[in-house]
Amino acid sequence: MIDAAERGLFEESVRTAFARAAGERGAPVDGALAELGWLELLAAEPADAVAIVFRALGSAHATASALDDVVASALGRGTSAEVAVLLPESGASDPPGRTVGDRLRATGLATARVDTAREVLVPVGTEGGTNLVLVPAADARVAPVRGIDPEAGLRAVTIDLDPGAARAPDVVDWEEGVALARRAISHQVAGACRAMLELARRHALERVQFGRPIAQFQAVRTRLADALVACEALDAALAAAADESGPATAALAKAVAGRTARTVGAECQQVLAGIGFTTEHAFHRYLKRTMLLDGLFGAADDIVLSWGRRLLDGGQVPRLIEL
Amino acid sequence: MALSDFSILDSRRADDLGEYRRQLNAWLDEHADDLAPTQAAPTLDEHMAQMQRVKKRLFDAGWMRFGWPERVGGWGGSAMLRTELGAVLSERELVDPGKFSLIEVLAPTLIDFARPELAADVVPRLLSGEEMWCQGFSEPNTGSDLASLSCRAVPDGDAETATTWRVNGQKVWTSLAQYSERCVLLTRTGPADSRHRGITAFFVDMDTPGVTVRPLEMINGVREFAEVFFDDVPVPTERMLGPRNGGWSVAMSILPYERSSCFWQRIAYLYKRLERLVEAAPKDDRSAEVVGDVALQLHALRARSRATQHRLASGATLGAETSIEKVLLATAEQALYDAARRLLPGVVEFDDDPVAESWRTEYLYSRAATIYGGTIEVQRGIIARRLLDLGTEP
Repeated sequence: MIDAAERGLFEESVRTAFARAAGERGAPVDGALAELGWLELLAAEPADAVAIVFRALGSAHATASALDDVVASALGRGTSAEVAVLLPESGASDPPGRTVGDRLRATGLATARVDTAREVLVPVGTEGGTNLVLVPAADARVAPVRGIDPEAGLRAVTIDLDPGAARAPDVVDWEEGVALARRAISHQVAGACRAMLELARRHALERVQFGRPIAQFQAVRTRLADALVACEALDAALAAAADESGPATAALAKAVAGRTARTVGAECQQVLAGIGFTTEHAFHRYLKRTMLLDGLFGAADDIVLSWGRRLLDGGQVPRLIEL
Repeated sequence: MALSDFSILDSRRADDLGEYRRQLNAWLDEHADDLAPTQAAPTLDEHMAQMQRVKKRLFDAGWMRFGWPERVGGWGGSAMLRTELGAVLSERELVDPGKFSLIEVLAPTLIDFARPELAADVVPRLLSGEEMWCQGFSEPNTGSDLASLSCRAVPDGDAETATTWRVNGQKVWTSLAQYSERCVLLTRTGPADSRHRGITAFFVDMDTPGVTVRPLEMINGVREFAEVFFDDVPVPTERMLGPRNGGWSVAMSILPYERSSCFWQRIAYLYKRLERLVEAAPKDDRSAEVVGDVALQLHALRARSRATQHRLASGATLGAETSIEKVLLATAEQALYDAARRLLPGVVEFDDDPVAESWRTEYLYSRAATIYGGTIEVQRGIIARRLLDLGTEP
């Protein structure tokens, strides 16, 4: 872990750089990230790197291809702007690729890096585990994902080729990749949730109705209080995922992220009322981004269901963290 | 068992919680038959007897002494050791955390505010199960707004020199008063409108003439709370806790304990109850969704509570931010018992076996989770004003 002072400095420079690079519309900040030494920090201190950078991405509504780096490094591979990583398709967390007969087939999502990369790293699920296969980018069919949040810059990717065209596979621990990706995305959700709460909080203090700021109405205060409770629950789950790293704490953090975003989005949207219903206000961007992020590497509802199945099967409730 | 038998007491390892937990569990395994409750569905009388018996055994064996200062009969070490003890006992269903963790809100008050000789005399009696104490805070007109209390204490003579005070008034929601030998009592000693500036705390013997206890039956049929009436009750000045009119600090000093160790112990118990539900629920996807959701809430709460205890242990002062875990705890607790009611149809409403009896009792009790210790509305108010900086309400 880096110390508090270093952490504060890095956070500040990341925030400043993102604010400058992303602007209101959330333009890509990959250049800024590279200058800040993101890859070096990711290699040396993955927990801190992911926490700081993804939270800042969330609060600045910025986009980047940093998730490629997170997955590649968690799977023990070097990171490179030349290599895009194929991510699971929406709602899924399994490896996006599989072999069917003598074909390598894959359907998944990618960041904008796939547009310029030379190769695509494809996690392929097999009987014996997960293989990583390098596929020439030219062999990937790429289409933009518009969906609810076109600004996120995701691409839908399909690959269907003779594995002969691919470079040597190696076996990796896919769960490691999923866990760190889930933590990264959850930090991004946390940043976006704090941003929504701050927008709603400021609005409540400034908006005057019936002769007083609406922040003085108990009903409004209660909504914002519940939004803060949800944000704090997510931060706690993320801290636990860093302290006791592993697939389970990361999965639960991702599920808490989904639930938190739902609460914060709903409460803040109601407080922002009319202005929050327009695209002139920044709120909608954060709301849509968190809705999108819930679908990456497993949605909250699916994680909760599979965790519940595991509890019922095992007849016990793992504590996961101790004092 | 001699002190030296605990390798954990090595100064280097005095805070090694993992080692403490391992040795404690080994000891509890060894004495499991002796410590187990004798009834499947104990009455409150039986339950209290069980708890005091367990405390006695643990005190004699030394476990109840860890984490308490040596000047009150403890063996020192981190307060997290005793948090862990309560959690382990709760998980093993040997004690009810709500009753057991009263130690955590009562003993520190005596340690911090009583004369040293008084604390040294009485705290070991509480720890060893020889005595039970209660907390006389709430009044019929004083719920969440504690500073409005009106139970009055007046000096016999001049306030500066009086050796005795006389207490008149009424307390309510006093947990387990009918079992208690002593009461930490908040009284009004300033003018009626002096609010938090005119409150004084006393340590009152419950067998003093003029004290009347009338148990109240709760919604679940248990007579856990009581009304306590004070009719010209004499209390020696040397039983004052903290300075005259300094009672608000005494009351507020409890918050960090209530919101750290007590919560952790309650969370440990809720995990155990969720485990019981997981064992009994039908093995289908509806159950999976419901128990998964409760497990998620408990996980976030446990993570939050853990962080808070580590902050406390490293010297931080706990304050308004603990309203966050208060809301999380209340919400998770009610979600757990709602889940039990959904997944065990009819058990809470119709069944009469001991297992159903405990689900029913606890289901009904869980409705108070959003009421006691400051209602959830009060917590949200604190969060809005203090943590979100939304200003005061008009």
